[in-house]
Amino acid sequence: MEQIFFIGFAVLAIVSALAVVSLRNPVHSALCLMVCLFQVACIFVLLRSPFLAVVQIFIYVGAVMVLFLFVVMILDIRKVMLGSLVGKRSGFVYAIMPLVTLEFLLVIFKGGLGKVASNIPSGEEVKVAVIGKELFTKYLFPFEVVSILLLVAMVGAIVLAKDRDEGA
Amino acid sequence: MFELADITTFIVSISVFLILFVKVYVVAAVLFSLPIPLTWIERKVAGHIQVRLGPFTVGPHGILQPIADTLKSFSKEDVIPEKADRLIFILAPLIALVPACMVFVAIPFGESVTIPYINYELTLYIADMNVALLYILAISGLGIYGIIFGGWASNSKYAVLGGLRSAAQMISYEVALSFAAIGVVMLSNSLSLVEIVKSQAGGFWNWNLFYLPVGPVWFIIFIIAGIAEINRIPFDLPEDEGTLGAGFSVEYSGMKFAFFPLAEYIAMTTVSILAVLMFLGGWNTPFPGAPVVPPIFWFGIKVLAFIYFFMWTRFTFPRYRYDQLMTIGWKILIPICLVNLLVTGFMRILL
Amino acid sequence: MKKGRNVSRKIEGGLIGLLKKIFFIDLLTGMSVTLGYNLGKSITMRYPHEEKWIPYPRFRGVHTLNRDDEGRELCVACELCVAACPTDCITVVPEEDLTGRGIADRVPKVWTVNLVRCLFCGYCEDACPTTAVRLSRDYELATTDFSRTVRNRDELLQPPAIPETVKGGVVVEARYDKKNMKVRANMLRQKDWWKSKLNLG
Ligand code: SF4
Ligand code: SF4
Repeated sequence: MEQIFFIGFAVLAIVSALAVVSLRNPVHSALCLMVCLFQVACIFVLLRSPFLAVVQIFIYVGAVMVLFLFVVMILDIRKVMLGSLVGKRSGFVYAIMPLVTLEFLLVIFKGGLGKVASNIPSGEEVKVAVIGKELFTKYLFPFEVVSILLLVAMVGAIVLAKDRDEGA
Repeated sequence: MFELADITTFIVSISVFLILFVKVYVVAAVLFSLPIPLTWIERKVAGHIQVRLGPFTVGPHGILQPIADTLKSFSKEDVIPEKADRLIFILAPLIALVPACMVFVAIPFGESVTIPYINYELTLYIADMNVALLYILAISGLGIYGIIFGGWASNSKYAVLGGLRSAAQMISYEVALSFAAIGVVMLSNSLSLVEIVKSQAGGFWNWNLFYLPVGPVWFIIFIIAGIAEINRIPFDLPEDEGTLGAGFSVEYSGMKFAFFPLAEYIAMTTVSILAVLMFLGGWNTPFPGAPVVPPIFWFGIKVLAFIYFFMWTRFTFPRYRYDQLMTIGWKILIPICLVNLLVTGFMRILL
Repeated sequence: MKKGRNVSRKIEGGLIGLLKKIFFIDLLTGMSVTLGYNLGKSITMRYPHEEKWIPYPRFRGVHTLNRDDEGRELCVACELCVAACPTDCITVVPEEDLTGRGIADRVPKVWTVNLVRCLFCGYCEDACPTTAVRLSRDYELATTDFSRTVRNRDELLQPPAIPETVKGGVVVEARYDKKNMKVRANMLRQKDWWKSKLNLG
């Protein structure tokens, strides 16, 4: 039963992910990206991690995609659709693509992704409290680094958005 | 050959499934018929607040008016603008409606009742998730896509402006809404709505609303952000008739249009229910000494009071300007949230 | 560096204003007002189903043709009303009649008024030498039948729904007759309604 659901979600996720990059209309792409993220959330539920699933929907589907759409909607869709998908420096893109793919594969299969959540019993529903405790004890340092990174990004965005004459 | 045990487990699992099915069916039926009484109440409230009578012709005191409206919507021509993005234009009302209904999977209406005669204990919720609160916030946030996509797909300036406004508004107020939810989670020590309600049992002084001094502040933040989330006056800028025609829904007609108000009413009920569960003790009785009435009664009374409150504010206040809306969201609500979060944290640790 | 933009706005009304804002005093005042309205009585007149407004005598509605005390038609078919009418909506065709139908031997064979063209100015009333034509207080002229917009002599000679003796300026009980699409006010037509108001002098 679970297997069937997993295959369904996974296939839909992959198909919509492909659609994201191959559709010409950016709004359609955004819609497909939403579907893709939603399917990933469903897979999180199958992995007994409802918290992650909900957070995925909350942050990615709920907030980040709204911002995406906000920008995409202001675009002149017809002009964007006429333009080529791959720009003039396509040689560069083709050269870098296998490299990126290789890197991803390495991270997935050889990286330490599998070990991260090892002390959480598998097969059981992950309680929010457990995640919180892990995050604020064992992984406190990476957590803080990420927060600072976000803070830096925020400050950077404000600096970029500020009027030039006002900053001086 | 079947063992007897096998058959009983089979029957049990089938009956569990059936009960779940019936529950889902009942909730869905209630949800879809909800706008019928709600539109009538809303129009009556609107009428009386404006010293008129409201609908009065169809049925006694106009009580059949919503049914007439529905029939009218069904029989109207369903126009799709020529330059519209057909697929998304058709999908958008559904995208608005489905998340609004999905939310009710996690909403508890009471703890449990024992059905007489067969002695079966029936829980009054479909699922008690341990992340129910987050789930509701996350899913109800998705309803906004119906508005954004609907606005964009109509290929009309007013509609797209309505969609943009709704996007920006939702981003701004989702933060405050989530902060209010975090406040409640800190007060009740759980993300499960059933647990949150249980923690407020025993008299109204135990409600989160009366956890002085932070409770009322969270409550007011939640109400303000909630009204903004469901796009009602005074925060209904996406459909601002004064400047945008009808905003995102300007190109919609017939039943497709009716889906948007339907979603709005369901979202309004969701916010009312959430406010009741999170701050007003859910189905707990306010006066423990009072004669015993079924908990669902208290729950209904409180939710109805909230729905009335939303209608009342709608016909009292004028609409905010867009910059005022943003100022309230970012410069007032969020700083208050942060300070209040700190105070709540200290109170929970020290008291 | 631009100044003024970063200076935070002063809160109007000082401390009291601030307190008012914190406790939403202004909003609550507004809400109490609307709550009062909500609980109070509505001012809607339930026309046509339950109530109907009876206008003052000065009201100018559809025309009536009057009779004198003995029931003779007052109109002498002088066609002064036709001349006075700014919109040309009255048609009068005179004929000779010696049976005593009218007060003179000249009576209208045809007397019609086109209510679609009429602007209810009352000039016809002023022009009439015998006060034969008067504007009554009937105002329910809406119709789905276009021929009803032209009223002829026989109809106009009927007593008006609101007798001239009634002072007006009141709301009376009424009920809507769906079949005939007419509002029946709870006020009987008086049989010899013309006697009360006729003033030939
Ligand atoms: S009321 Fe005026 S417009 Fe009407 S018939 Fe008399 S004179 Fe003509
Ligand atoms: S209604 Fe008066 S003015 Fe008109 S034709 Fe008759 S008598 Fe003359």
